[in-house]
Amino acid sequence: MGAAVKRVEIQAQQRLRTLMRDYFLDLDAAARDPQRRVAWCTSVGPCEILAAFGFATYFPENHGALLGAKKVSHQYIPLAVSAGYCAESCSYMNSDIGAAIGGYSPLQEAYGIAGPPKPDLLAYNTNQCREVQDWFEFFGRRHNAPVFGICPPRQLGEVTPAHVAFVRGELERLIHQIEGRFGLSLDRRRLEEVVALSSRASTLWREALETARARPAPIVFWDGLIQMAPVILMRGSRLAVEYYETLLAEMKQRVHDGIGAVPGEQYRIYWEGMPVWPRVRDLSEKCLELRAAVVASTYCNSWAFEEYAGGDPLEWMARTSTEIFINRAESFKEPFLLDMFERFAIDGAVFHNARTCPNNTNSRFGLAQRLREQHNAAVLVIDGDLSDQRFFSTAQTMTNLEAFIEQLETRRRSGNARRPAAQGAGR
Amino acid sequence: MNGAYFVGIDAGSSATKCVVLAADGKMLGHAVVPSGFDYVEAAEAALTGALGGTPCTREGIGFCVSTGYGRKNIAWADRQVTEITCHARGAREWYPQVRGIVDIGGQDTKFIWIDGRGELIDYRMNSKCAAGTGTFLESVAVRLGVPLASIDDLAMSSTARSILNSYCTVFTGTEVIERIKAGEPRQDISMGLFRSIAARVFEMSAARDGPIAATGGVVAHCKAMRRALEEILAAPLLLPPLPQQAGAYGAALLAREMAAETDSPQRAQSSQREQSVER
Ligand code: SF4
Repeated sequence: MGAAVKRVEIQAQQRLRTLMRDYFLDLDAAARDPQRRVAWCTSVGPCEILAAFGFATYFPENHGALLGAKKVSHQYIPLAVSAGYCAESCSYMNSDIGAAIGGYSPLQEAYGIAGPPKPDLLAYNTNQCREVQDWFEFFGRRHNAPVFGICPPRQLGEVTPAHVAFVRGELERLIHQIEGRFGLSLDRRRLEEVVALSSRASTLWREALETARARPAPIVFWDGLIQMAPVILMRGSRLAVEYYETLLAEMKQRVHDGIGAVPGEQYRIYWEGMPVWPRVRDLSEKCLELRAAVVASTYCNSWAFEEYAGGDPLEWMARTSTEIFINRAESFKEPFLLDMFERFAIDGAVFHNARTCPNNTNSRFGLAQRLREQHNAAVLVIDGDLSDQRFFSTAQTMTNLEAFIEQLETRRRSGNARRPAAQGAGR
Repeated sequence: MNGAYFVGIDAGSSATKCVVLAADGKMLGHAVVPSGFDYVEAAEAALTGALGGTPCTREGIGFCVSTGYGRKNIAWADRQVTEITCHARGAREWYPQVRGIVDIGGQDTKFIWIDGRGELIDYRMNSKCAAGTGTFLESVAVRLGVPLASIDDLAMSSTARSILNSYCTVFTGTEVIERIKAGEPRQDISMGLFRSIAARVFEMSAARDGPIAATGGVVAHCKAMRRALEEILAAPLLLPPLPQQAGAYGAALLAREMAAETDSPQRAQSSQREQSVER
């Protein structure tokens, strides 16, 4: 046995706990304050518009992930199924609806609040899936609140100016709906400020993720799943910008000091698809044991938008929400992934085939097999789910992961590993 | 390395298999025992069985690799290797030309592809569901109240091209009952059962070509399974002399190779997985 290796915790985490607490307590207060309004929003926007109108913004997908991480989704999904939702539809949606019916929320134990704040408005964006629309409709009926949304064109190869113009029009329509419904008038200046802050947080987040190009990687997917909270929940606020400045500085320092998230990093893995929330700890520990650093992922990168350089904020919002990876055709996804593999010096990619999220699963139309056969990439597809642990077999998956590392080991020995061009950035 | 013999132990969900090799790689002994409730006990029994009749004693074991579902439970094994790598290694020793390996075990089914150097190219395992595994067959046999061997014999006498259409174990049982009620001959229903497993296996084949070997307990015990696989793969299968012991054989071969590597001080130093990790 060699020397024991200790994993160094991310310092910024302390600050993150406080931020999260303040965020949820403020939402709770906003819901009870007759002077304030609460909007529910999808993770990929249009939160900037809601923030510019002054809504406190809450994200049900985050609640779905919390239910998954708490390992309770499968207890609440049956309540949604009995209310008419298909058991194989999005387990975020089903568990969130089920938990509402059952009167449970992980926010109760975590922050001592009753649960999600009652909405005055729900605003969705179907650039990720249509599930969010029906999910929000459920809560709109339940809380007697208006449900507005935008529907960008889906699964695009190339994004053309006409696509962006259309989505911009959708955003304008949403603004008019909100103005009409609540008697408000959007302060366009304020929107520019919010968009600038949103873009800044997103850029800093991307830079923090990019530090993982270094060997050893200072941050891995499992850390990213926690660290990404502000870029989703607090995007458009100064708090998020400040948080990522701190995180980025810490990651740069780690690179400088040679501190890796996986001590003794041997293999560099790409994670494609959704996390398996109820098994994040098991999977991260298995990777640690195998010296496998999951240095990049589609999921964490989904909130790394292009920078806003001034100008029309709605145009920026329209572009980012249309260009997002989940909304693209495989003709875009394939070269995107290959580029990620090169830049992060990836040894192998794990594709998570999430049973209840076909939208964020990319192994269903031959992409994984094409990467393997045409580009000699080492690819593993695992079956599971984002939240519903009944679709995940721990023993099968762990064996699959171990066999994958054995495969990477043999490839390396035989000199057949896919050799990426760029390596070790940021050092 | 002290001992001159190498042991591979495959702690599967239904059966535990053990193979003992001489220093030159020749197989000296092997055994298969039911896994039961206790992997450790089963491993002991399999080892005792495999050592019986060989000149090797426990003290003579130079290196041992464990594999299979219960591989982590065998404390006396020097290394653990997944059944994917072990089955590929075992099959290739018997058939150097092999490219694909189909393994149908008690609880999982695998399709493994290797290249000319024996390097793993691709592999698939059934995810959660037992359809397409030995457990699936057993559960249907129990439902019909006949031993598995009789289903195999019945199936081999079928000349029809029937196949069961259900995807899941429970529904397949129901479908079998419905077909009995509809008066379909038992031979055809039985053969249809094996074909439905073969179809599941075929889905894992990743549309690759090359000589395919079949391993695992189901193939070892059921002629109809081999027939159904050959039909759907449209090629003759390579059937190793000891299909059920392929994983244990591969583990023993790897034990022999690893012992040679750990003997070289350079390799021993670079052995990556031996450091303990704290979180
Ligand atoms: S993208 Fe997938 S996980 Fe997210 S809301 Fe839509 S269906 Fe659910």
